[in-house]
Amino acid sequence: MTTTGKHPGSPAATEDPAPPPRRTPARGGTSAPAPLRWLRRNAVVLAGVASLCYLLLPNAVVMLFSFNKPAGRFNYEWRMFSTDAWTDPCGVADMCGSLGLSLQIALLATVFATAFGTFAAFALARYRFRGKGTGNALIFLPMAMPEVVMGASLGTLFLNTRVAFGFVTILIAHIMFCLSFVVVAVKARVMSMDPRLEEAARDLYAGPLQTFLRVTLPLAAPGIAAGAMLSFALSFDDFIITQFNAGPSTVTFPMFVWGAAQRGVPVQVNVIGTAMFLIAVAVVLGGQIAAGRRRRRG
Amino acid sequence: MTITLSGVSKVFGDFTAVHPLDLTIPEGSFFALLGASGCGKTTTLRMIAGLEEPTGGTVLLGEEDITALPPHKRPVNTVFQNYALFPHLDVAENVAFGLRRRGITSVRKQVEEMLELVELGPLAGRKPRQLSGGQQQRVALARALINRPRVLLLDEPLGALDLKLRRQMQLELKRIQTEVGITFVHVTHDQEEAMTMADTVAVMNAGRVEQLGAPDELYERPRSTFVANFLGTSNLIEAEITEAGGEELVLKATGTDSVLRLPAERCAAPDPQTGGKLLVGVRPEKISLTHAEDDDGEGAGTQANGTGARRGAVNGANGEGNGGADNRLTGRIRDAGYLGVSMQYVVDSPVCPEFSVYEQNVERDARLTPGADVVLRWRPAHTFALDATQDADAGTVEEAL
Repeated sequence: MTTTGKHPGSPAATEDPAPPPRRTPARGGTSAPAPLRWLRRNAVVLAGVASLCYLLLPNAVVMLFSFNKPAGRFNYEWRMFSTDAWTDPCGVADMCGSLGLSLQIALLATVFATAFGTFAAFALARYRFRGKGTGNALIFLPMAMPEVVMGASLGTLFLNTRVAFGFVTILIAHIMFCLSFVVVAVKARVMSMDPRLEEAARDLYAGPLQTFLRVTLPLAAPGIAAGAMLSFALSFDDFIITQFNAGPSTVTFPMFVWGAAQRGVPVQVNVIGTAMFLIAVAVVLGGQIAAGRRRRRG
Repeated sequence: MTITLSGVSKVFGDFTAVHPLDLTIPEGSFFALLGASGCGKTTTLRMIAGLEEPTGGTVLLGEEDITALPPHKRPVNTVFQNYALFPHLDVAENVAFGLRRRGITSVRKQVEEMLELVELGPLAGRKPRQLSGGQQQRVALARALINRPRVLLLDEPLGALDLKLRRQMQLELKRIQTEVGITFVHVTHDQEEAMTMADTVAVMNAGRVEQLGAPDELYERPRSTFVANFLGTSNLIEAEITEAGGEELVLKATGTDSVLRLPAERCAAPDPQTGGKLLVGVRPEKISLTHAEDDDGEGAGTQANGTGARRGAVNGANGEGNGGADNRLTGRIRDAGYLGVSMQYVVDSPVCPEFSVYEQNVERDARLTPGADVVLRWRPAHTFALDATQDADAGTVEEAL
């Protein structure tokens, strides 16, 4: 058996391919002026940069105003640079409490929605059962339904079944609307997985549990992770549904900001916003660097 | 270890993939299941692996009934079609997978040895997607063989490789099988692959085994039109028996006076009677082609050209009768194709519209061009006869289209 790698000295390595043809100057002699030519060549890049600016400008404003020292209670006009808010992020009454509550709910909602959603996705992707088609269609409904309608209806439901509004009702509502997103993300991944890989595992002495842990789960992991991240983000910043299902003492972070906006927004809100943004960017960058390193090492 | 399938069948809904099947695969053999796609060969393999539960019948491994055992409890491993390597594990961990699942922790030495066997040592740290098709194939083989299975199942293991690599891997697989000495069961749709590698070939068609035997036996003495056409090419002539009962059957090609002879033992139809119909078959390379002008008339027992003399010698070695007159047909060349090692002629003959003839590319008669009148001759001992009630085109490429 010969190796299929390239040997130094093989024809492919010694024969230099012909140099790539030079970029030919504009045809017909009527070459456009230099700036126009430059514009034509870089139009796509410019369009891309413009779109990115459009997307990121609000974030930049949030970040900038987290260093503001406003005169009154409203952080709408730039006055002077200050790091006061960054050194004392919990200086505003109740804000850090609401932030903690939001993080708690987002975490729990993510865990439950990811677990249930993963099970549902496997069932819908892998098995045949009565009502599968209906299930597949119904999964999309919560995503399509206007949030305000869903929030109000859910509130009515809790009211009529005499469930006390508070932490639990918010959590139930959040798990519900996150579930669809997890199912969609995980299902897409599971559908693209080769069922023969699991057969190979079973053939290689892995029992049902081992097969699931060693092969199925690692392969489905990217889909599950995507679903979980989506859940966390959706739950953390949900205002509408939460507003309809919260109790008098359960004020989440979005609710706090909404409430504060009536009386004056503290700079610390911008600090929290900026921090969340930076954490998200760090997570994405970290993931990409890790993936890149894995690829290079291999 | 011997595998015995008795009455094994598989039904999917209203489709019977495998009709009740009896098959014994002897220990240490290289056994091929050969057939077109959808013939039930892969399903049969999967039932041996335990990945498919038989609808009926039992699977024995040696003396033990393993019909109800789940795949992870069977001492049998599979090389899957397209390999099914775990994409999230590197080559070494792919190979170590089976050992680790059985609780063996010090796998390093064995993995190294196994990668050495398939010549992949330096690539142990790579991920499967960084390997070429041939390398992936060898990882799949190593991953199965490291477990020292009693039986190795191969599901179209070379199907995804290009022709040259496939040839090389055929020899490689054969070498490894001889080296490790375990039973190989090989599923393929490639008749050449099956014949090159296997000791025994079972030709499957529509969920049934059509014929089972050594490659040369299947090729020289097919027992159905499917086997005759699926393994290589056959010329089939419809003929009526004029003389039966003796050691030789004498027939007359339907609608002509051409007389055809063959030894009675080479007839696959049960109890041939005078007046009965048979399909008389001959392989294209057994025929010698001469220009009509050189023909020395009916019933010539010897052949003038070199190819004929060589064939006579082969005949003698086989101990088959050399006495009877050759079978002789006339025709006109319709098409001639140059294949390098041989010339392929298509001859129009009154008894058969498209007669295939392969002539070794030794000394070509320049007159053998399309339109030339020719005489076809072959020995009765190279002739076979099949039951005429079957579809004469079964197993041909045309039928598949």
